Amino acid sequence: MSQPDANGVWVVGEQKDGQMAAVTLELLTTGRWIADSLKQQLTLVMVGNDLDRMVSTLEEYGPDRIIFVSGEGANQFIPEVYSESIAAIVTKAPPSVILFPATYDGRDLAGRLAARLGVGLAADCTEVSVDDEGRFIQVRPAFGGNLMAVIHQPTAKPQLATLRPHITKSAKASTKVTLLVEHAPLVGLPKNFDKKVLETVREVAEEAGNLDEAEVVIGIGRGLGSLDNLKTVNRLAILLNAAVGGSRGVVDAGWLPHSQQIGLTGRVISPKMYLALGISGAVQHLVGVRTAKEIVAINIDPEAPIFKVATYGIVGDLFSILPPLIRELESKPTRI
Amino acid sequence: MVCVKQVPDVAEIRIDEVKHTLIRSGVPSILNPFDEFAVEEALRIREKSGGDVTVISMGPLQAKETLTKCLAMGADRAVLLSDPKFAGADTWATSKTLAMTIQKLGFDLVLCGMKAVDGETSQVGPEIAELLGIPHISYVKRVEINNDKSLVAERMTEQGHQLVSSSIPCLLTATKALNVPRIPTLLSQMAAKKKPIEIFTAESIGAQKDQVGLPGSRTHVLKVFTPNLRTGECKIVRAEEKDAIPQLLGLLKKEGITT
Repeated sequence: MSQPDANGVWVVGEQKDGQMAAVTLELLTTGRWIADSLKQQLTLVMVGNDLDRMVSTLEEYGPDRIIFVSGEGANQFIPEVYSESIAAIVTKAPPSVILFPATYDGRDLAGRLAARLGVGLAADCTEVSVDDEGRFIQVRPAFGGNLMAVIHQPTAKPQLATLRPHITKSAKASTKVTLLVEHAPLVGLPKNFDKKVLETVREVAEEAGNLDEAEVVIGIGRGLGSLDNLKTVNRLAILLNAAVGGSRGVVDAGWLPHSQQIGLTGRVISPKMYLALGISGAVQHLVGVRTAKEIVAINIDPEAPIFKVATYGIVGDLFSILPPLIRELESKPTRI
Repeated sequence: MVCVKQVPDVAEIRIDEVKHTLIRSGVPSILNPFDEFAVEEALRIREKSGGDVTVISMGPLQAKETLTKCLAMGADRAVLLSDPKFAGADTWATSKTLAMTIQKLGFDLVLCGMKAVDGETSQVGPEIAELLGIPHISYVKRVEINNDKSLVAERMTEQGHQLVSSSIPCLLTATKALNVPRIPTLLSQMAAKKKPIEIFTAESIGAQKDQVGLPGSRTHVLKVFTPNLRTGECKIVRAEEKDAIPQLLGLLKKEGITT
């Protein structure tokens, strides 16, 4: 699809069981800024039912328009259905840019939609901007974070990008705009195939949080000693509102589910702070946390490679640090 | 049908800290680890449900090594898409090339790794599925083939998993949790070296010049750079020191994580 007259910046938000994902507000913040730089309008697209109640919150982040896509089963993410439904509104009046969250579902949706429209997609971007020539620019890591590529999409529109959570802090818009709210129908599955979500199971404890969305992630390594010690870590996680992930060794030992593995053969995360507990820092693990803002490491071995990438390190026994740290945090008033 | 990619062993890549470039010489090429899980699963499905396993890859002739490994694991057929016209392909051009090939060869099930460890986009699987007009299930950790018309897969999510049913044909992307890949015996490695690897060009799949490679790509790389990998700036204290914990608390406060 080549659309020289394509206009507007769209953000595709995310909801889980009708609850808005925090990354939606971050994307709106980035989207508002990109739209202003391009002197275009910002549209938020949300797929799901009964989402109108979110308008008052969403409005503060400055979209010019919100399109709610709803219909039977809309709260359940099925990439084929979401992609067809969004394609139907995109083709009516194509925007120049569409931003998605780089989450499991966001990558699924963006990939299908890009192929459906025959346009480009920059995946897992850590930075987007508009350059002096008015081009939409994307920066994304590759080779395990060893290399950053600066990308643009000169030949086709809309230009698609998935953005990692946390690359921008969500911020309310400074000026108020007149918001337009529209509704569009969910498009059903093609008749020639069938797909259903039979069951959604949560394996990670409620307090263990979401690795992609949490501002703070605690990573545990074999240095934790035993599974029993995970209780102490979980207590710390609650106090810091952190998600808990781990090294390959920890996952292979069955201490955490596979979904919580951080590193080359697991997840790549970009939290504000990564707290590495008993993690030595093998390259295969480090590539998963390289884009974290701060890395704090606690390890008994002063030679552990994790200290080479950390901003703050404590050499010593994990259990001479964690209990007093937890006591200190417990004595503080809860964060609102 | 399994799509595989030859990638540099990313864990071995080092950065030249003076020139800010990747040091790729001496870095071994390997079968993308996630693709290995996909090949293994395809072999297991064949062992249970019949059919044959074709492995396809796009890359330079050197990528034959990767396909030979797949043949040694037990794949029936290997196709290498190798043509200077394919060079410089982004996810769209890659997906298009692979989808055209899969369509030409015929398929029931397509398996890919959840991502390649070099490009790390996780997009090629869903894009191929869309181009083939079939459903896909990404981040698969377990799969059961019900019959030749349907399957059920466990898909990894951010906080657990989902059980998803799909009609066949379908595309799956493999995670590490799916299986433990077999290690080919010396005998099967020797035998695999004698098996043919079919070479396909743009012409063999009927692709126009502007559909594939750099001309077919929608994303263009303006430049690459190596990020600053904050080395040598770590402040290290010993646990016994009095201010070990206060400093950590200070950092938490500074970042707005605690009050």
